[in-house]
Amino acid sequence: MGYFLTFGHSPWGQQILTHVSWNLLWASAFAGVAFLVAHASYMVLSAHRKRHPAETDAMEAARPDLPARIPRHSGVARAFHWVMAASMLTLLTTAFLPIAGIKFAWVQWHWMAGLLLTTAILFHVIHASFFMDFWSIWVGPKDIPELKAEVMREFGHDVPGPKPGKYPLGNRLYHLALVVVGLSVIASGLTMMVRVRTPLFPRNPYLFADSTWGFVYVTHGMAGVALVGLVIAHVYFAVRPDKWWITKAMIVGWITRRQYLEHHDPARWVVDGNPKSQIPNPKFQL
Amino acid sequence: MAVIRDVMPAFELLQPTSTADALTLLGRYGSDAWILAGGLDSFDWLKDRIKRPRYVIDLSGIDELKGVRERNGGVEIGAMTTLTDVVRHPIVRDRYAILMDAAESAASPQIRNQGTIGGNVSQDTRCWYYRAGWSCYRAGGNICYADTPESINREHAILGADRCVAVNPSDTAPALIALDAEMVLRSASGDDRVVDAEDYFIGPGTDITRMTVLRPGELLTAIRIPGDWAGARFYFEKVRDRQVWDFPLVNVASAMVTSGETIQNMRLVVNAVAARPLRLVNVEQFVKGKPRNDQTADAAGEMAIEGAQPLRFNAYKVPLMRNLVKRAIRGVGEWATS
Amino acid sequence: MADTKYIGQNYTPPDLVAKVTGRARYAEDFRAEGMLFAKLLTSPMPHCRVRNIDASAALAMPGVKGILTADDLPDLGPNVERALTNEPFYAGEPILAVAAVDELTAAEAVEKINVDLEPLPFVVDPLDALRPGGPDARTTGNVWGAPMPGGVGPNAASPVKTIKWTGEQFADADEGRLPMGEPTEQWAYGDLDAGFGNAALVLDETMVVQSTGHHPMETRSAMAYWQNGKLYIHASTQSVAQTLPNVARWCGIMPQQVVLISEYTGGGFGSKGGGAVSTCIPAMLSKKLNGVPVMMRITREDENYIGRARTNMSGRTRIGFAKDGRITALDLFIVQDNGSYGPMGDHRSAGLAASIIYQPQAMRWRAISVLTNTPPRSQQRSPGPMQANGQRAKLTSAFIVEALDKGKQAFRWDERKAYSGQRRGAKVRGVGVAVGPHGSGSIGFDSLMTLRPDGKLYVQSGVGNLGTHSVMDLARVAAEVLAMPWEKVEVVWGDTGKGVPWSCLSVGSQTTHAMTRANFAGANDLKRKLQEIAAKDLGGSPDDYELSNERVHRKGAGGGLTYTQAAKRAIELGGKYDGHEVPEDINVMTKGAAAKHAGLGVMGVAKDNYPRNGTTYSFVIGFAEVEVDVETGKVTLIDYLGVGDVGTVINPRSLLAQIKGGSCLGIAHALQQKWVFDPKYGLMLSRRFHYSKPLTILDIPATMNADAVGLPDPETPVGARGVGEPPVGAGYGAVLNAIADAVGVDVFRRAPVTSDLVLMSLENKKRMHEPLRAHV
Repeated sequence: MGYFLTFGHSPWGQQILTHVSWNLLWASAFAGVAFLVAHASYMVLSAHRKRHPAETDAMEAARPDLPARIPRHSGVARAFHWVMAASMLTLLTTAFLPIAGIKFAWVQWHWMAGLLLTTAILFHVIHASFFMDFWSIWVGPKDIPELKAEVMREFGHDVPGPKPGKYPLGNRLYHLALVVVGLSVIASGLTMMVRVRTPLFPRNPYLFADSTWGFVYVTHGMAGVALVGLVIAHVYFAVRPDKWWITKAMIVGWITRRQYLEHHDPARWVVDGNPKSQIPNPKFQL
Repeated sequence: MAVIRDVMPAFELLQPTSTADALTLLGRYGSDAWILAGGLDSFDWLKDRIKRPRYVIDLSGIDELKGVRERNGGVEIGAMTTLTDVVRHPIVRDRYAILMDAAESAASPQIRNQGTIGGNVSQDTRCWYYRAGWSCYRAGGNICYADTPESINREHAILGADRCVAVNPSDTAPALIALDAEMVLRSASGDDRVVDAEDYFIGPGTDITRMTVLRPGELLTAIRIPGDWAGARFYFEKVRDRQVWDFPLVNVASAMVTSGETIQNMRLVVNAVAARPLRLVNVEQFVKGKPRNDQTADAAGEMAIEGAQPLRFNAYKVPLMRNLVKRAIRGVGEWATS
Repeated sequence: MADTKYIGQNYTPPDLVAKVTGRARYAEDFRAEGMLFAKLLTSPMPHCRVRNIDASAALAMPGVKGILTADDLPDLGPNVERALTNEPFYAGEPILAVAAVDELTAAEAVEKINVDLEPLPFVVDPLDALRPGGPDARTTGNVWGAPMPGGVGPNAASPVKTIKWTGEQFADADEGRLPMGEPTEQWAYGDLDAGFGNAALVLDETMVVQSTGHHPMETRSAMAYWQNGKLYIHASTQSVAQTLPNVARWCGIMPQQVVLISEYTGGGFGSKGGGAVSTCIPAMLSKKLNGVPVMMRITREDENYIGRARTNMSGRTRIGFAKDGRITALDLFIVQDNGSYGPMGDHRSAGLAASIIYQPQAMRWRAISVLTNTPPRSQQRSPGPMQANGQRAKLTSAFIVEALDKGKQAFRWDERKAYSGQRRGAKVRGVGVAVGPHGSGSIGFDSLMTLRPDGKLYVQSGVGNLGTHSVMDLARVAAEVLAMPWEKVEVVWGDTGKGVPWSCLSVGSQTTHAMTRANFAGANDLKRKLQEIAAKDLGGSPDDYELSNERVHRKGAGGGLTYTQAAKRAIELGGKYDGHEVPEDINVMTKGAAAKHAGLGVMGVAKDNYPRNGTTYSFVIGFAEVEVDVETGKVTLIDYLGVGDVGTVINPRSLLAQIKGGSCLGIAHALQQKWVFDPKYGLMLSRRFHYSKPLTILDIPATMNADAVGLPDPETPVGARGVGEPPVGAGYGAVLNAIADAVGVDVFRRAPVTSDLVLMSLENKKRMHEPLRAHV
């Protein structure tokens, strides 16, 4: 257990769970980097299938009704993403640099970034629930055919089957992982703010029993180290040249008609040809 | 596993007779080694079996680390010079009386005969939760037992707390900072450096398990005091529960240069209010060029305590610090006779 | 006794050179062939139950010889503290002891032992234990009830009971008024209602008094071994004769099986009155290991927990004053923190002290003694007058007025009073005076001495040598009565193997009173025997003979015998003269000791049967001047004078040292000494010696003065009373009153009055300190 968890002792000499072992940080970072290397090597070495440009030309010709720029992320959504990214990076930096040996006064930055992240996510949850296509991001049994098809395509087979809707399955799986890990880290992190001094409420490390605190710390630690791996993977994909169009969309808000038709299933992500609908439909567009 | 205190466990005692040998040993044993100066802080930890080093490097046999020498118009004090020797040295008495007062206020005569100036500035905090072996932040845990709704924290910090609310207990540290001293650090790796006394001390935000910038493998060999503040108008006061063998509740040290009754320049340091001695630069700036009177002192006192955040039992430190800063500027009235 | 040669004169006690040269051997200085060392495993929790002890890893270590647990100790009866326990009632209570070839091995062995503990509810603040639904210190209850029928003395056996007060009774607690629910004990005299009705001023105030550890210089170390069925034990104890039966009881053997050696004791202050229960640990370990010598040195850390402490009390006083200052009525309610064992009786003593100090026309005393999971208490030097058995004691004598007058003049009271309360710079001064009363003498103990053919008088002293000189002073009476040159007096003390008489406990300021009486009786017995021997040999009646120049001779300058001749004659005569016949009424221990000395010379042996009418109390009046720094809150004691009304002075130098030293303990309580607990875990934070802050030499004025009125007590033949304790209350009260005089009576309602307390009150113009909480 010592490899995964750390134990301390209470003033009474009882063993108490205090945290995850920071071995896990290195494990997670290693896993993230290993995935990155593996994926990059595969992409370089394998001859995985690429859609022939002619095919796309034909598709583009068939849909002159579509605007040249297909709105993908609204300004609000992009702002959310980047605020979240900034706070997440701040959180990870402030959390893990001191552990890695770079010492600085990190606590205040950490909880303030945490509050920013919490606010951003609260906004996102409300926004996504009421103003966006809530279900477009979730994963379910209905995605199994897409999973099969996408896996086959990754291995260079030209197979029929569903193409991604607005969000590719990979995106959505990643989002799901982030939801689980992020909510864990936020819930535990907010609780842990009681242990440090903030202007918000009186500091009370005795709010919960030692065992409860142990669980909270381990949750926070597990989620935190998982985020290291997830963020490494995320940043990796964001900077891959073949995924750059997606990253760019998160900056500028739109993709080209050609990218839309090449990578998405217009049946699953319906874009209306009516120029009016170029104004993003809040119910639909994000 | 049961806990037993007050019985020193076995360790290997290494007694080098030169700084070079000490550094070699430090380099060889790294973080397994414990540096022993006068032992007043060390033996507490060792006897309580809380710190369990495999090797203890006793510096008491290194003569080159002892003594007060003149240097570039100031003095250099070997880190292993006892507090008694510091107090008795004529140069310290004549030019740096504030250091004499500070060193003489530390602990008890017996402890000052054994305790060194290097040890006094490098000593660990005396937070009674931490010293009892409770696994707090400073001990590598994830809690501060001294800052909870139930803690008894009369001796703890009102400023600069970051999770940990322990304070620096040194009496000589604020005097040395007031004198603009420098700490000479030598390293097993040859990476020697000289740091300002002010920067020698660190708060929990920077490193919650250490009180100073001293890294494993590093040795504080000497303290250099420049001639700049020699013979200045000094003020040192330590408020404590009893007049000997007690740590400060708050202490203040200042060096002031005046022209007539106008303050030309000042260095002002308060200790035992935070995890590191606090030099009050804003107050120093404020008083520069002002008359040395009650009005200046009152304003300086209020300025000194800006941002103070008392805990349940240490709110008194706020007016105490304020009043000591006032006194450092305007002095204190006394009864003429008893 | 008029016209004395020794009584009232300074002298050098015979143990002094050994003490100041380091030759004196204390309990931990003894070594024996094959001696093992013991270390304690103590409870990390304030209240728990031992479920299992796994010592296998420890016992497998080379050099580890055995362990001792509570199961190896005799059962001492319900609620009685034992040296080891399976249900610790306080953190630091010993659970087991390990014996090994050295302390290092023993300590390492302790660390290898796994003790499985079940945490139980605990309480460290007595008021928390009384709150509705509050935790109890024991599974059987939270308070000591009133003494059981037939119970005698302040620590009489009591039942453990459960008493909870109501929420309404706690309603004013937050404002600092002590709740007053159901008490366990009370008494009253006079018409309280009328007293308050007639009062011109009625005050209702709550005061919190701290607990402090005794912390004698020498910890309660002991070394023991067994030989031929007898236990030989070197122990640190205040008393010798009185400790012997306790050691026997703790070890489950007969007193005759114990030889106790305690020639030097480094203080006790009441914490080692009848010895320390922990001393049976090396004895029982030794027994388990076939008699091999076992040394148990108690560390300062251990002493902090097992070394006893003063009871802390919260008192609420309603007090009515007539216009002339006379107290018309006093209604006192005390909540005593009894600690984990006991029962303690300090709350009773405090009530009696209040009645004596304030002389109210009507008074009611109500009290409750609460069990908490804090280290055990014992009387600490002046816990309030002890061992009085009436509600309004009739005192043997009191010359308080004379002492006050003497002190007022010597202290220049009026001159100092004139400038008190005036501020100069940051400093303001104040003066205070207080009366410290304390029961100061018991009666009925024995004396044993022999005048031998070598021309020397051997006085057997059964009291402890705890630093007060009374162990020697008692022989001065014998020298006086027998006109014996002091250099020819040998005091034999500190070893029951050498035969000591049944003596008082060296506690409660009893010794000087009790043992001067006993030795006066014993010396007069010896004198009478000398006179009888002379009359037998030289004719005439015994009354025709007197003693001088080491001779018993006819009054005037007539013929007689030298002491040497008389001693030889006594041995020839035998019977009562050389101790082969002893009085019936002496204690069995004295009889045993007398048997050891029978035939060695003329024996003086007697019980103190002198009459006494009233309760014996001594008084010290303390006068203090303090200076308060209003910018730091720091209080400095400027001057102090203690004036004693303690009867005839036996040893002036020692008496004045006692008045000053005792006052210092009180001054420490007023200014700085305390102990502190973390309420969440019930663990002591002031565990390091320096955190408890006993007084240091720099906390008192460079010169402190003391004096005594020196008027004899008419109810004791030598006229002398004890002095150990009265100065403590005098120093405490005088300094507290002086602080109040300097900065106002509303600045504090708890002690010690540290700078934080003063500064915060002055800064906020009202008291800011914790009103009722104990141990902060």
